[in-house]
Amino acid sequence: MKKESNLQKILKEGHFAVTAEAGPPRGCDPEIMYKKAGILKGYVDAVNVTDNQTAIVRMSSLAACSLVQQSGVEPILQMVVRDRNRIALQSDVLGAAALGITNMMCLSGDHQCFGNQPGAMGVFDLDSIQLIAAVKKMRDESKILGGDELTSAPQMFIGAAANPFADPLPFRVTRLAKKVKAGAGFIQTQCIYNLARFKEFMKMVTDQGLDRKVYILAGITPLKSAGMAKYMARKVAGMDIPEEIIRRMEGVPKADQPKEGISICLETIAALKKISGVSGIHIMAIEWEEAVPEIVSAAGLMNRGAGSV
Amino acid sequence: MRITPETKLTVFYCQNCFKEDSRILEAQMGSEVALYPIACSGRLDPLFILRAMEQGSDAVCLFVCDEGMCRYFEGNRRASKRVAYTRTLLDEIGIGGDRAFVRFLTESEKAKPVKMIAEALANARKLGPSPLKSASAKRRKK
Amino acid sequence: MITATRKSLDEIKNMIRPYTRVLVAGCGSCVAECAAGGEKEVAQLVSALSMAFKIEGGGPSLTEVTVDRQCVNIFLDELEDPTRSHDAVLSLACGAGVQALAERHADRNIFPALDTQFLGQTKSPGLWLENCLGCGQCKLFYFGAICPLGRCAKQLFNGPCGGSQNGKCETDSEKPCAWQLIIDRLDGLGALNRLEEIYEPCDWSLKQGRGPRKIEREDQQS
Repeated sequence: MKKESNLQKILKEGHFAVTAEAGPPRGCDPEIMYKKAGILKGYVDAVNVTDNQTAIVRMSSLAACSLVQQSGVEPILQMVVRDRNRIALQSDVLGAAALGITNMMCLSGDHQCFGNQPGAMGVFDLDSIQLIAAVKKMRDESKILGGDELTSAPQMFIGAAANPFADPLPFRVTRLAKKVKAGAGFIQTQCIYNLARFKEFMKMVTDQGLDRKVYILAGITPLKSAGMAKYMARKVAGMDIPEEIIRRMEGVPKADQPKEGISICLETIAALKKISGVSGIHIMAIEWEEAVPEIVSAAGLMNRGAGSV
Repeated sequence: MRITPETKLTVFYCQNCFKEDSRILEAQMGSEVALYPIACSGRLDPLFILRAMEQGSDAVCLFVCDEGMCRYFEGNRRASKRVAYTRTLLDEIGIGGDRAFVRFLTESEKAKPVKMIAEALANARKLGPSPLKSASAKRRKK
Repeated sequence: MITATRKSLDEIKNMIRPYTRVLVAGCGSCVAECAAGGEKEVAQLVSALSMAFKIEGGGPSLTEVTVDRQCVNIFLDELEDPTRSHDAVLSLACGAGVQALAERHADRNIFPALDTQFLGQTKSPGLWLENCLGCGQCKLFYFGAICPLGRCAKQLFNGPCGGSQNGKCETDSEKPCAWQLIIDRLDGLGALNRLEEIYEPCDWSLKQGRGPRKIEREDQQS
């Protein structure tokens, strides 16, 4: 099955890419995924479908990707290494390719202690970098880990995550380089609120020439309320929300906070566009997909030579 | 001296707390109290407390030197941590952790052993007989 | 060494309640070092159980014994007769010791008094830390003698993950991030370049490939 990723094509052509995120429901109703995809359709180039995010049991990412695709939106299959061993992971890559899925994100996954199954065994048979390398091997050499031949090779545009706000900072760039070396074609970053630190990170990335080897999509999450900002700053691992952002959200009445969150988001996008090495943005509007069309339109990203499948 | 079913309180104390001879103190306190001096409160083992309870004491008190005043620096702190552990064990057993307690003594309190022990005894009386005693009593009635 | 912690008194009581004569058997090695199953702990447990059963109105009679190592067959000779003269054994050994003893007594119930925890070190009195998984393929050379399998919550060979902040692990802000420790140590050794390498996945067949592992050496056999 040779089907090219639309996201890859857009990035290759040098357009500013926009991706978003759609979390599968805690149930089996397909309509929810159709609805989320419907909201995003026409505004973004591809949509990440999360894999049991924060270790909470949800509809499988692969199945939800298929539903998104049926709605006419290109999915990006997120795969975490927390729950499946190398047999299951490689098998799912083949299954995804067979369903016509052409993008995937290789992730470690939030630790199982955070979710609703704290008694689960953490598999972590491969780490995210080893998964990237495994998928690349499947795609480029038509071989699985251990060297056995596949009867046909999956076409996958391989993505990975980078967190410029986790520590230690210099090693974050080394790790990004490792992901590129392993075979990542695009990177989506953790949500950016601390622009100064992100610029510092991107400077190191461009100094090493990594931006010429991989497309970097900068992560954005619109804040819906001051409460959400405080919660994320305190509770979400690897999240960096400066005090001034929290104060700014608190400074407006509760009813106006979503609007303020979107304003912050738009200012961030404008700043990101000017940072060398940034190829696009990844909007993670957590359980707030309706905000995406507004952000994309207001950011002037509607006519960028992009479009959905 | 032995702990008997008459014993209401068993006292372990650091020798640096009370200078008086334990036999003299015991004579003053009567049969309700059993006294055990130890070289340093840091020598206290949870087993001492368990055995005292097992042999019929209703409560166990450990007297130690005040915070920062231990001759061996940390004996009193270690001992109080061991008592804390033993209290959880006594809760598990069903005896109740509050039957074992630590008293940190100031310099002026150290000079009044009888008063200090009497206070601990009053506390032991308030706690009443150990559940072990009522268990044996029940069995005897049967 | 192997570390362990005591089960709750209730769980232990429920196991041994039906028996009349129970041997409470300690082990003088690892579990004594971690203050869970040595001679002292046997004495404490027997005292605690005796009182707890007394409050209940009766229970088995308990006998104390401690041997040097319950996981080594020749040391178990000492437990042979005492085990035969009791209805059941409450063992304060690790899981290996409990099983080694049980293997010798098809007609006796051997119960564990401890929850066996991990392979680790005594960092300071009263503090034990896990640091080895027994993977069968030691890779400590690459990681500056800090094992990412034993000490990283996600067992990453190519870490750290995005949850490492201020040197701490995302799972517990008290716990050091193993990868921060690895980076700091390799930095100190001037060997940070070891981390540019992409490390291959662990070969789990060396740990669990064909079930329980065995080491057999003819030169050591009698």
